[in-house]
Amino acid sequence: MKKRILALLLAALTLLTLSGCGTKPTAQSAPAPEAPKVEKIRIALVLPATVDDLAWGQSMVEGLKAVQKTMGADKVEVAISEKLGNAVDAGSAIRQYATQGYDIILAHGSQYQSVLTEITKDFPKTTFAYGTGFATQPNVFAYDPQAQEGGYLLGMLAAMTTKSGIVGIVGPVESGDAVKYNYGVQQGVLKGKADVKTRTAYTGSFNDIVGAGNLAKTQMSAGADILTGSSQQAVGALRAVAETKDKYWLSTDMDQSSIAPDHVLAAQVYNWEKVVTKIIELRKKGTLGGQVLTLGFADGTIDLKYNAKLADKIPAAAKAAVEQAKQDIISGKLKVELPKK
Amino acid sequence: MEGVVNSDIIIIILATGIRLATPYLLAALGEMFVQRSGVYNLGVEGIMMMGAFAGFYATLQLGSPLLGIVISLVIGALMGLLMALVSVTFKAEQGISGIGLYMFGWGLSGLLFRLYVGGITSVEGLKAIKIPFLSNIPFFGPVLFDHNGLVYTAFLLVPLTGFILFKTSWGLNVRAVGNKPEAADTLGVSVVRIRYQCLIVGGMLAALAGAFLTIGQANMYADNITAGRGFIAIALVYFGRWSPWGILLGSLLFSLADSFQSMVQVLGINFPYELAVILPYMVTIIALAISYGRVWAPAALGKPFQRGTRG
Amino acid sequence: MAENIEHLEMCGITKRFPGVLSNNNVNLQIKTGEVLAILGENGAGKTTLMNILYGLYQPDAGKILINGKPVNINSPREAIALGIGMVHQHFMLVPTLTVCENVILGLSKSFLVDLKTATQRIKEITATYGLAINPDAYVWQLSVGEQQRVEIIKALYRGANLLILDEPTAVLTPQESNELIELLRNMSAQGNSIILISHKLHEVMALSDRVTVLRDGEVCADVLTRETSQEALAQLMVGREMAACQRGGTFSPGKTVLEFQDVYAQGDKETEALAGVSLTIREGEILGIAGVSGNGQKELAEVIAGLRKVTEGKLYLNGKESTKMSPAWIIQQGLGYIPEDRLHVGTIPSFSIWENLILKDHHLAPYAKHLLLQNQVIMSHSSSLVEKYGVKTPNLETPTGKLSGGNIQRVILAREITRSPVALVAAYPTRGLDIGATEYLHSKLLEARSQGIGVLLISEDLEELLSICDNIAVLYEGRVMQVMPVEEANERILGLLMAGIAEEAS
Repeated sequence: MKKRILALLLAALTLLTLSGCGTKPTAQSAPAPEAPKVEKIRIALVLPATVDDLAWGQSMVEGLKAVQKTMGADKVEVAISEKLGNAVDAGSAIRQYATQGYDIILAHGSQYQSVLTEITKDFPKTTFAYGTGFATQPNVFAYDPQAQEGGYLLGMLAAMTTKSGIVGIVGPVESGDAVKYNYGVQQGVLKGKADVKTRTAYTGSFNDIVGAGNLAKTQMSAGADILTGSSQQAVGALRAVAETKDKYWLSTDMDQSSIAPDHVLAAQVYNWEKVVTKIIELRKKGTLGGQVLTLGFADGTIDLKYNAKLADKIPAAAKAAVEQAKQDIISGKLKVELPKK
Repeated sequence: MEGVVNSDIIIIILATGIRLATPYLLAALGEMFVQRSGVYNLGVEGIMMMGAFAGFYATLQLGSPLLGIVISLVIGALMGLLMALVSVTFKAEQGISGIGLYMFGWGLSGLLFRLYVGGITSVEGLKAIKIPFLSNIPFFGPVLFDHNGLVYTAFLLVPLTGFILFKTSWGLNVRAVGNKPEAADTLGVSVVRIRYQCLIVGGMLAALAGAFLTIGQANMYADNITAGRGFIAIALVYFGRWSPWGILLGSLLFSLADSFQSMVQVLGINFPYELAVILPYMVTIIALAISYGRVWAPAALGKPFQRGTRG
Repeated sequence: MAENIEHLEMCGITKRFPGVLSNNNVNLQIKTGEVLAILGENGAGKTTLMNILYGLYQPDAGKILINGKPVNINSPREAIALGIGMVHQHFMLVPTLTVCENVILGLSKSFLVDLKTATQRIKEITATYGLAINPDAYVWQLSVGEQQRVEIIKALYRGANLLILDEPTAVLTPQESNELIELLRNMSAQGNSIILISHKLHEVMALSDRVTVLRDGEVCADVLTRETSQEALAQLMVGREMAACQRGGTFSPGKTVLEFQDVYAQGDKETEALAGVSLTIREGEILGIAGVSGNGQKELAEVIAGLRKVTEGKLYLNGKESTKMSPAWIIQQGLGYIPEDRLHVGTIPSFSIWENLILKDHHLAPYAKHLLLQNQVIMSHSSSLVEKYGVKTPNLETPTGKLSGGNIQRVILAREITRSPVALVAAYPTRGLDIGATEYLHSKLLEARSQGIGVLLISEDLEELLSICDNIAVLYEGRVMQVMPVEEANERILGLLMAGIAEEAS
């Protein structure tokens, strides 16, 4: 009996600590209950990983902060739940937010698609959005970053910058966004310089930063001097690159130069502020969902950022070629193909 | 394989394998003591996470990876003590309390990271120590003698733990307590004390394994940094038949297979990546399946000790 | 080391466990060189009393005096320090350690284990008392008798001069028992005191100087051995007169009901446990299987019940081959089975008595009809069985695991015999039962015999085998040494066969 009580206590303690950091509704709005005139938009974000993963999750969090800043903190309320890699837990968090009357609920992961279909019908007045994805419903937006476009540009950049002639990709799991991005990089490398090799390897995990670091070390010891990779584990690989003197990293989803200012050459950056703003506007006009929102260079929802500090490491010709290609993508002259299934 | 000589590739694979084996070795040797004393601690992963965070945070704040190691050892001892309290003193079911400890360690390390660090930050971790003279030996030098201190520590612990287990009085007590605690008890060996000591040692080594990940490999911390390595360490204890040399063999086998498959992927050898990634697990399971013979699991493993149970 | 124990006294010892008064105002004394037997049925409180003396339990009342001075014994360690050693019924040895490591366990206070010195001292001790043992052997490699010697060495190594032995001969062959008795005599002659816990009357008579008889937790007699007799002690112990069970009627076996033809089977450790066993059991016959446990008895029983695979050879039950049949088929063909582990194999401990009583037939009429259990039929059937077999229980819903060993055995007997089997296999059915329960079980087995059931009785108690069997087979290392009519058997012959010695058994 004593044992059982003790086990329960331990479990309760665990749950407390887990929920303490798990569901943290970071209501970053000014407390404005006395100003009912101001119509406030309430946005909830559900993340599979963390708010500070320097990748997919954090890029969205920063987009939301930008929205708040632009529209005014008293107009936009943001709540975030993180570490909801488990779809069932995520589902209950999403339902809870919907019940609490949030206007827009962002389920920021392709794995949430099936969970959403069970919930959205019960809340027809709420706007849901998820991505990467294509399937929509009347009150569900899907968003789809064209990761291959930036990958292509970064691949070109890498091919024309590498000295060893080897570009290394540290991939997570061979699926979805990672495949799109990696395929873009591979195409870009081929376009940039035909005799440069792209070496692609996967860790088999999205969040094993130690594994990503080790894979990056293996890539470098086998000759790669420019590396890239997606997902939240990529920082582990970047950190391994940062240990070296003459090897560089290309980041995706967001600019990761904050952690390794001397090693991140350039970044593909998602501009979530624009996406979220568009969702807010569509909602105001009465469109609660039903559209696929594509992120790409054309509308500026994806951009390429260079690290000013390392500008001299990129040959001028490379930069010019990449910029040209970028314009071609924007104008529609260049279409980056996706792998055929 | 352009531009790289074959023997270099082999050196890289072997050196990487040795580096990868370190956390498994540390955690599994600790768990070996724990299980030898009759407790199985499934919370290794949680202790590793706490050790990983403690080592990282102390290094970040104090600027010294050595102090990071010391702090992580202290935290590991405390986690071991917690497990001992729950599973030895209060005799809670060991499997459940281990899982509880795992979740506790995961939650707490994540919470502390969020509260005191906030975002991804990198630290200056342990530096490789080239052993003079030895590291100059061709082939063996770069494979064996160009690692950081924790790697050497882990491998030196293999003969050391073997010596402790089989040649010292304390080791004799541990083996007795894990196999027949009633017998040890009647002879005045305190089952409770030995199990506490083993859990604390096991906790310290697990925390050290975690610290190796943050300040010996990744040089940063992120949530769930252990990514299941603690559970693999537990499996390696079984694989190694509760012996330091067996655990060394298992850790090396698993890690070399891992290092090998990474290199196969990197070199673009035509091999499905899905198979490559599971190669270490397959190799280990196959090795376990074909190595048969008498298995000496500690007979009292998993059984809380209660003096004077009737019937 | 403490002073020698010249005189030890336990005064007014009372120990209560939840719901049981295990010792009630027990007085006991022993002086140097004396062999004291503590005699009593199971549950009489013998072991509790000794565990108190050894510091494993604390008495609720009473005191212990050594050489006239009161002592507190709070742990086995303190008992050892006072010169008290104990050899438990279940050995307190670590099988994966060597003899030497076991002996010095808990004594070694230095950082390193000094096996050399310890081995030397062990050799001195074994030389003094004539105990042959290899200090470097692992305990799991030793025979039961050798393990017992290790226990004795352990106590002597610690300087014990009062030795407590809990049922020391329960697991030994008659020859090993004789050696032990010799050894204990030798030890007491050299100034050691020995307390012997037992319920075996003949060994008490053979070995002890004085007997203290316990019944229901109280001392009911304290007599000099030479002034009493086996019969008198039995009466004191049980509290009534005993009628020894004897085979009645003439032995007139019918047709063969169970037959082994050169059967081989593997043990749990993949060693050969049965190596070519051929036996026949006929209607109305009790065939006893003698042997030191671990020589294939367990496997023999399991093979018949279909619980263990036969690797070679054939088995016939009631004239039909049952070699590869399922346990269910074998049960349907009429095999009754009283397994060695009566609590976990014989019954489901958490099930109620009535559930266990219909365990094998619950799906058949009259207990079940159209997939439903017929509660009325089952209850009346069960209560009549409980009454007929004298199961002591508060009610039919009591979980079987809560009953005493004897009562669990009654439940199993009731179930197995009322199914009117053609053959009944009983593995160690009286192990751990007291005299009363044993007597009852014997009478039931004999009743089964007179009903024409063929009974296979596996036992390590030679007295039991000699008193109720028609034929006795001796099993040694998975082989049948010899099958003989009970009239030709005696303890000496059986003992030699059990030790694997065949030639002079004639």
